Amino acid sequence: MTAATSPEANLSADDASGASFSATPSVTTVASLVPLNNAEALAHDAHATTETVGTEAHHAEEGGLPQLNTDHWAGQIVWLVVIFAIFYLLMAKVFTPRLRNVINTRGSTIAEDLANARANRDEAEAQAKQAAAETAEAHTAARKLAAEALARSNAEVAAATAVEDEKLNKRLGEAEVRIRGQRDAAMAHVSDIASETASLLVEKLTGKAATAAALKAAIGKV
Amino acid sequence: MADPLHQFKIETVVAGPVFQVGGVHVDLSLTNSVLAMLIAVGLTVLFFALTTARASIIPGRGQVMAEGLFGLIDDMTESIIGHDGRKFLPYVLTLFLFILSCNLVGMFTYFTATSQVAVTLTLAAMTILLVLAVGFIRNGLGFFKMFVPSGVPWYILIVLVPIEVIAFIMRPVTLTLRLFGNMLGGHIVMKVFAGFIVTGLTLGGLGALIGFVSMFTIVALTTLEFLVAYLQAFVFAVLTCVYLSDVVNIGHH
Repeated sequence: MTAATSPEANLSADDASGASFSATPSVTTVASLVPLNNAEALAHDAHATTETVGTEAHHAEEGGLPQLNTDHWAGQIVWLVVIFAIFYLLMAKVFTPRLRNVINTRGSTIAEDLANARANRDEAEAQAKQAAAETAEAHTAARKLAAEALARSNAEVAAATAVEDEKLNKRLGEAEVRIRGQRDAAMAHVSDIASETASLLVEKLTGKAATAAALKAAIGKV
Repeated sequence: MADPLHQFKIETVVAGPVFQVGGVHVDLSLTNSVLAMLIAVGLTVLFFALTTARASIIPGRGQVMAEGLFGLIDDMTESIIGHDGRKFLPYVLTLFLFILSCNLVGMFTYFTATSQVAVTLTLAAMTILLVLAVGFIRNGLGFFKMFVPSGVPWYILIVLVPIEVIAFIMRPVTLTLRLFGNMLGGHIVMKVFAGFIVTGLTLGGLGALIGFVSMFTIVALTTLEFLVAYLQAFVFAVLTCVYLSDVVNIGHH
């Protein structure tokens, strides 16, 4: 494995300790994460720029992790607190109210719409009921009207029939009277014709004209 | 082979003021770590700004995502902390989004801010300080009832109370190390296998076989790391809710 010296180690190679450091490059292995070269000759100032190189000789707490170098802690903490505070204020004062607001508005809008829809449905049902009632009423009215019309027309027809019947009966009666008169007249002529025929017959048979009285008596016998 | 730890090294991008405060070395330079945090938070804020700017009742694709993240944490705070959970929603949501975005920026760029102990320690410290503040403000000295489970005989309490106290003290430590360890380990393993590919292929023969196997391994590891990136943010948020719930509902269990 080829050793990769930290670039900072080369940068700090201007002093004697750096020279010795670059002459015996620090080799770190992945498996152990601990430098093989202890770099015991490393100057005190070198550790600030080469944290990955073991400096346990100076600071046991630093180990191999750059995070444990407390030089940058205060700056990071100050920056973090400032950034976090700004972030918190934005969240608390702007975004949370906005989101809370829109979620609440959505909830109330949905509830309102549901209530409206329910009211509309109820109203529609009431209207449908009313329409059904009106239809039923109209039905009965129409039925009544039809019955009345039928009764009226029946009455009219009956009246008209009665009038016609009367007229016809009257003409019938007149006709009967006339026929009876004509028959009576005809019957009267029958006796005249009989007496005339009888007188003619008598005259032909006897050669003598029969008297009117005799004829009358003879016809009266028949 | 490239050093798998090089990715964690803090490098100054833009030099800033450096001073000492009480013997503490403060370097306010814009480093790659700070830059990663800025990119992560910047992208997240941009995402939320774009998706909620014209938030409508019928959401677009982006708004569905934003509402999904919001709803996830909203449900979490509500179900774990209870009715008062809504007050802590902004903090938990900010924490979750910060960790998630930093983890994801680490997946797409070379630097993972959440693999820095300083960052995870600060996040854990903020959470624990919030828990302590809420505990003392809501309960006063009743906060200490948290360490004394009710209905337990005194001779068991002698053993139990120290355990509870130690467990509480260990919370920030576990919060710090869980996130740090996951991010550190995952990214080291990915770089190690990436190194194997190059080394193996240049060796030829059996080495080439190892290189090819490493190639498939790193694809699988990358998908796993995406899962871990989300999962660790989620776990941190869940634990924050659990710790807050402990102090919010002291009298209730």
